[in-house]
Amino acid sequence: MIHRLSILTLVALAACSPKRVHEQPILGNGDRVPSVDGTVATVQNQAAMDRARMLDRRDSLVAVALAGCAPAVCEAVTRGEVAIGMNETQVLAATRTLPEAWSVRRSGPATVMVPASRSLAPRDAMGEIALVQLRDGRVAAYSYHEAQGIRLVADPHDATTEGRADALAEMLIREADDLAARGDLNGALDRYDRASVLRADDPLLDYRIATLLDKQLRPIEARIRYQLFLHRLELEKIEAKGDAYAKLASAIAHAKERIIVLEKHGS
Amino acid sequence: MSVSVSLRRRTFHLLLVMGLATVPLACGSKKVSRIDPSSVTDLSGRWNDTDSRLVANELIQQSLSAAWARRYMDAHGGEAPTVIVGEFRNRTLEHIPVGTFIRDLERAFVNSGVVRVVASSDERQSVRAEREDQQEHARAETRARLGQELGAKYMLQGELQAIEDQEGREKIVYYQVDATLVDLESNEKVWVGQHKIKKYIERRRLGW
Repeated sequence: MIHRLSILTLVALAACSPKRVHEQPILGNGDRVPSVDGTVATVQNQAAMDRARMLDRRDSLVAVALAGCAPAVCEAVTRGEVAIGMNETQVLAATRTLPEAWSVRRSGPATVMVPASRSLAPRDAMGEIALVQLRDGRVAAYSYHEAQGIRLVADPHDATTEGRADALAEMLIREADDLAARGDLNGALDRYDRASVLRADDPLLDYRIATLLDKQLRPIEARIRYQLFLHRLELEKIEAKGDAYAKLASAIAHAKERIIVLEKHGS
Repeated sequence: MSVSVSLRRRTFHLLLVMGLATVPLACGSKKVSRIDPSSVTDLSGRWNDTDSRLVANELIQQSLSAAWARRYMDAHGGEAPTVIVGEFRNRTLEHIPVGTFIRDLERAFVNSGVVRVVASSDERQSVRAEREDQQEHARAETRARLGQELGAKYMLQGELQAIEDQEGREKIVYYQVDATLVDLESNEKVWVGQHKIKKYIERRRLGW
């Protein structure tokens, strides 16, 4: 009986003991870790061949693009900027890309070039290109991805520093209007402030900022902005007529009214 | 007189025997030899050079065979993408020098020509200091120009994690290394590499 009990106890103990791991080792002492230098060398050779082939194609595209181009277009290609009036090859040359980087759709006289990959969109010297529209083989309009949205260049002025600043200010004002509508007054004020740097001579922007400051119960700053708005109108001697007059007239009246109210509260 | 001489002799013999006995102990205490760096030498079971090399090899193979660099080259007329090495976090309880496999990876990137690697934030401080120094002290035609640094398109980041399981004389250690290439402009992850190492460590009854 004792003998059986002791055997049972031993069996129970054996069952409770942790199970040993029986796995064949894949790497043990004395083995060697294989080198990857061979793989790196293969990749290196392949990459060098691919790069040489691509650079050859790119160089010939640039040569074709620069052969017989108008002076303004040639200058833009050299600067690496897309410009109105370029043809498809010149767009490729200006962006230092190959046709693989673009997805091209053609419909009659219209052609649209969009980046083949959104995350690897081609760039020119100004920024990341969102879309290029060609009419009769010449660039009619193109657009850039900007932080505030898409910026369209449809005439040569849009491509200048002033044109770009104006477009960016417009995008900031649009974003600020959205934020104001959602109740984020601080965010809206920040965007209007940034837009006022880019578009310094816009009285309506001052009026918007003044209204926001007024809503935020910041009377002193609001009064200054309302006064700035009126002062700027005086300085510029805007001859507002029709709808514009009606819009500005109500703004002028509101600004004057608020200045009186705020001054009374202030005193 | 003879007793004193005998005592001296015995003392001398005793000291001689003790001295001779310590000679082999002193000579046998250390043995150093150069061995092949690619050999597997597991002593304690903790993270070692073999693990570092295995991780480096795997990440090199994965990153160079992935399509991200090729896609970039296609979209940029043969230009290679530029990568900056960011932070690799060691989230294990062990002290693991992650720099060893990161340098292997960097070396493979540069040597393969598929990727251009720019100096990391720590490395470039001394380079910038030297460049600024040159503006004042170097001859005009030999000065390194300012504002000509190459901006990275992607940042290589990663982390190392470990899970341990122990019972009695047996221990399992599992390491997982994750490496990610992140687009610096859009935060998009363009490549994720991973390597896992599982170690079984068994302690013998008499020592290790």
